[in-house]
Amino acid sequence: MSAITVFSAKKIITMNPARPNATHVAVRDGRVLATGTIDEIAGWGDYTLDDSFANKVIMPGFVEGHCHLMAGGIWRYTYVGYQDRVDPDGKLWPGVKTLEEVLTRLKEAEMELGPDDALVAWGFDPIFLMDRRLDKNDLDNVSPSRPIAVVHSNFHLLTVNSASLSLANYVADMDVDGIALGPDGSPNGELQEMAAMFPIMRRLGIDLRELGRTERSLVDFGKVCNRVGVTTAADLINDLPDEDVAQMKTITDGSDYPIRLMSLLNGISQPADETRERALELKGKSTEKLRLGAVKIITDGSIQGFTARLRWPYHYNGAPNGIWNIAPEQLNVLVSVLNEAGVQMHIHTNGDEAIEVALDALEQAKIKKNRPDLLHVLQHCQMADRAQFRKMKRLGVAANLFSNHIYYFGDKHYELTIGPDRALRMDACQSAIDFGVPFAIHSDAPVTPMAPLFTAWCAVNRLTESGKLLGEYERISVDEALQAITLGAAATLHMDHEVGSIETGKWADFAILENDPETIGAENLKDVGIWGTVLAGEKHKIP
Amino acid sequence: MTVLAGFLGSGKTTLVNHLLRQADGPRIMVLVNDFGDLPIDEDLIAAKDGDTLTLANGCACCSMGAGLYKAFSTALDYEPTPDHLLIEASGVAEPKRIANFARAEPDLTLNGIVTMVDALNFQTTREDQRLSEIVEAQISSAHILLLNKCDLAQQQNIDICAEILRHVNETAPIIKITHGALSGDIFFGEGRSIDRLSETSNDSHSHTHETDFSRWSVATDSEINKATLKEVLNHLPPSILRVKGIFRATGESDLWVAHKAGTHIDISPLSMDSSFSGRTGFVAIGTKSPDFSNILDAAFHSLK
Ligand SMILES: [Zn+2]
Ligand SMILES: [Zn+2]
Repeated sequence: MSAITVFSAKKIITMNPARPNATHVAVRDGRVLATGTIDEIAGWGDYTLDDSFANKVIMPGFVEGHCHLMAGGIWRYTYVGYQDRVDPDGKLWPGVKTLEEVLTRLKEAEMELGPDDALVAWGFDPIFLMDRRLDKNDLDNVSPSRPIAVVHSNFHLLTVNSASLSLANYVADMDVDGIALGPDGSPNGELQEMAAMFPIMRRLGIDLRELGRTERSLVDFGKVCNRVGVTTAADLINDLPDEDVAQMKTITDGSDYPIRLMSLLNGISQPADETRERALELKGKSTEKLRLGAVKIITDGSIQGFTARLRWPYHYNGAPNGIWNIAPEQLNVLVSVLNEAGVQMHIHTNGDEAIEVALDALEQAKIKKNRPDLLHVLQHCQMADRAQFRKMKRLGVAANLFSNHIYYFGDKHYELTIGPDRALRMDACQSAIDFGVPFAIHSDAPVTPMAPLFTAWCAVNRLTESGKLLGEYERISVDEALQAITLGAAATLHMDHEVGSIETGKWADFAILENDPETIGAENLKDVGIWGTVLAGEKHKIP
Repeated sequence: MTVLAGFLGSGKTTLVNHLLRQADGPRIMVLVNDFGDLPIDEDLIAAKDGDTLTLANGCACCSMGAGLYKAFSTALDYEPTPDHLLIEASGVAEPKRIANFARAEPDLTLNGIVTMVDALNFQTTREDQRLSEIVEAQISSAHILLLNKCDLAQQQNIDICAEILRHVNETAPIIKITHGALSGDIFFGEGRSIDRLSETSNDSHSHTHETDFSRWSVATDSEINKATLKEVLNHLPPSILRVKGIFRATGESDLWVAHKAGTHIDISPLSMDSSFSGRTGFVAIGTKSPDFSNILDAAFHSLK
């Protein structure tokens, strides 16, 4: 029989109501053998006691149910965001608070580069655009000859210098949407949306999609997860060609790779029956650490980008309604085809009209064929009202709510995008609880930083960046939030029988914490220290 | 690059297959981002030595247009370089956003937005609250409008459709077609060398008629003022569907190329390569009408 390791801890929060807390957890063959006191565990036979967590709190490894592999790869570029962030290697990048600080950081980064490298930065915050906008002259001061590109935090804007502009022959009097012009009629360096950004990105080799594909990106992604206590993460959209799947398998198989990775197939880049066949084929390639077979379907855009599909009365500031990525009629077909074949779907819906259309499609599919084995998930599901939560309950559909939005974009939603009434009910965790809708909360990293305890803090406190309380009613308790980032998220990935709680038979995947989230106080939840993780009984200390 | 827009079921794929099937066509690369029931005929693509690529829509919040990036970079890096990029836009895509790629990218020239409308189902689609804005955007941004399934719809409905189209888009020519069939030179315009000019002697013009369309050409090596040319092209009636010309510009040493696709006009320097026949002049295609040639003769006479 294989050896038993027993970890002692100051406290173990199991998420198993039959035994909510324990002082010891025994691990055999990578799985939880038992929890309880040392005396109770001793009955299982000889063991090795590991006291390294004796002063720490052990929780089930956190589950990030919606993020993107790019969250690792993006760090090859220089970070110029407003908030402090830590890169995959643990380096703290303090937020830059003024335009001058942005330029200073760019100058420092510029000096490190080889003669032929372009300088690419990311995370530039629109808050810097209040007084005056960053333009090519600012960046020409950093370097007149080296191409420079600053990607804004929303990934829909790019500011470049003159050297970059000339690469794409961007000259005066171009009458192209998205190429902003200065007072002299020449491009001022600001480029809006992919069409205008593309010629420069192509010539500088800035391929955001590739950022999620290389070996280094996958490794860095694992590091990003490890730093925030995540042991299972879902990469929410991927084309998953065979060579990428093979690479993912090789990397995740490594005993030093600290997470279980789920990767979802893009469901709208081929006809419905091809998506079905590919999803079923991928499902068969799943391993203990790589989960495949679920499909992502994108219906609308984003609320902050004014591209979400809203019902009446639409945008608060009168902006036109958003965009569809798939026609409602086509969604009906796709959802029915996949449901019938037993493929789990994660449907991106931000606006309430997109939620309505997705729920209608699921309703039709379930009338045709009930599949009680499948839990389909509405991803983001930000604007759902209570009637829609009731419908989710009736249909047996889960929601993965974008709680980080409350902090990062809540002020904007209240003032500009959807107005007070609907901003107060955004990402409605309490409504999900009221009606018994299974739910999780997520970061959508790199859109917002991955850190489940921060996401939980958002769901519990609902404070915006300016400190406003956005929707008191929808706040949930610390216990409920901890549930959402463990078992709740595991359920949305069809993995709650394997991970999400510390319970006999499940994987020994733990988050090792320096403080006790149950007692640190709701307002401090985001400040809980993290030592690292344990995956299948193996320790992964943050380096 | 041409963007083919139009709502689901309007017959875009049938048209694409039809265009690919035409024997004398250019090397076409098709970028597809609509996945209806009808696939692009893979055999046709192989036969034409072209290719199709998937133009996957990304998540507007999380994949940041990365799908578009990938499709365009693959198409632009493709060897051998295709003559023409045909984008079959999704039924819910805003064609203008896609066309912007060609406007911004130096290696691409926009050959126009062609929007296909289904005379049978147009009104139902348009009345769907969830789709009305996008249908309107597809029509208003079109340089050429195709009204398809005219054999299946009642004349009365065809007239109503045409009237609505004209209301939303006052200037683009409306071409009525059946079975998604349209000849390649109307859709793509002339090839870069304007071969048709070789058959036309200097300072003469010719025209031909087929059932629905007329063709016209004039060879000229006179110097032409670009601004005046743009004016002239702008003022041609919608019945003149396409004009293409290679000409000497007043005060410039290099040759210039002009093309008009419906309401879209582009005048830019001719990039020299071996396929240029050496002939300068203009060709045009329009819907058949008694004064077709007179209009063009008069317009181009005023340039000389
Ligand atoms: Zn996402
Ligand atoms: Zn998304």
